[in-house]
Amino acid sequence: MLGSLFSQYARTLLVAAALLFIVLVEALGMREAVYPSLLPFFTWMRESSWLGVIGTTYGSIYATVEAVHLLSMAVLGGTVLATDLRLLGVIFKDVPSETLVTGTYKCFKIALLMAILTGIFCAAGVGDKVYYMQVFWVKMLALLAASCFMLFIKQPLLTSRPHIEINPWSIRLLAITSILIWFTVAAAGRWIGFS
Amino acid sequence: MNENGKLDDKTIAAVSSAAIILGALIYYWIGEGQSTVELLELAYGSLKFFNNPLVF
Amino acid sequence: MINELLLQFAQWMEAQEYSQMLVAGYYSYSWLEATHVLTLMVSIGSLFIIDLRMLGLIMPDVSASTIAARLHKPMIIGFAIMFATGALLVYAKPVETIQSLWFRIKMFLLLLAFINALIFNARLKAADGSWDMDPVAPKAIRIGAMISLTLWCGVVTLGRYIPYDWVDCTNTNNTTILWAAGCVEQLNAL
Repeated sequence: MLGSLFSQYARTLLVAAALLFIVLVEALGMREAVYPSLLPFFTWMRESSWLGVIGTTYGSIYATVEAVHLLSMAVLGGTVLATDLRLLGVIFKDVPSETLVTGTYKCFKIALLMAILTGIFCAAGVGDKVYYMQVFWVKMLALLAASCFMLFIKQPLLTSRPHIEINPWSIRLLAITSILIWFTVAAAGRWIGFS
Repeated sequence: MNENGKLDDKTIAAVSSAAIILGALIYYWIGEGQSTVELLELAYGSLKFFNNPLVF
Repeated sequence: MINELLLQFAQWMEAQEYSQMLVAGYYSYSWLEATHVLTLMVSIGSLFIIDLRMLGLIMPDVSASTIAARLHKPMIIGFAIMFATGALLVYAKPVETIQSLWFRIKMFLLLLAFINALIFNARLKAADGSWDMDPVAPKAIRIGAMISLTLWCGVVTLGRYIPYDWVDCTNTNNTTILWAAGCVEQLNAL
């Protein structure tokens, strides 16, 4: 009985487990307990790792990687906006939303990968600064949530069946959440530079 | 919904996680907005985006 | 001559109250810059999808003209916001920006990108549309798309370079760079 419940609602149960995990981490003070132990890693990233050494030694390389990071963000944001605005019925009204959801996905994944790889380099170069920034952790949390939401929640549902069979309000909710969370990731990222 | 008219796994997971994430984001941005307004009021005496040119 | 005029114009802007307010405000300059950068997702995001479609790298099953037409409006809105916020960013720090070598190269690339866009659009209109459903556009249009992608990557990269001070007027003695960046005072002092 339990086994069949789990196999039938695996995804939902994983969402509930993730939520429970976050609540427990906060309630038991695990975040405060783990946080100090992360500092050596961030210091090592900046001072000893290859990424940190290159990033802090060659300003021109660092700035160029930042530019690639921005370009990846632009492509990622472009595919997210094109798809989600279609789901909201704002643009591409004459193209089936299924086509956009599947057509932009590969490009989105490449842009996300590029953004993460260049982002690791950028963070390594200022490792001991970002460690103390709240907005950096907000961005990391939002990025993790956004990636999981996109890869394991939104895309699987939207490719599982024709969109006419999905409640239109569910689709709108997914699209608005997707736009807002990727905006948060980008805006928090830009704010790291100002902090 | 699936062919039996029952809510299926993917839909429940999608709607619930979207609602949680959206709620958290709205909460975060309202908090950011409030602290920004407070800071600007503290800095300028009233809500202004930048210094009043007449007193600058 | 033109460098002197540009510098005078920049100094005139910098003396204005509103220019100084934009820099001195708690958040005004950061918000402007953040808006300028985040709007990349709308402007460059839309443009790159169009260019990548011409190269057959995204949504090859949707007609090229549909992609270009449907994304035209968001792209123009994006670029309008980029232009407005960009102009205000220059207005906030006019002397620094006008004497930036990166800013000058960026403006030159923007001009090239604009000319390329005009040629690209003309070719798109002149095309008979027989290739519209082909996964890859004809060679002339593909070349235009590749030039567009390259130029805009350059524009974004140079935009990212502007805040760095590697070749600021006060950091270099190279006369070619000083001349190209319009560092009038430093050139006269040499």
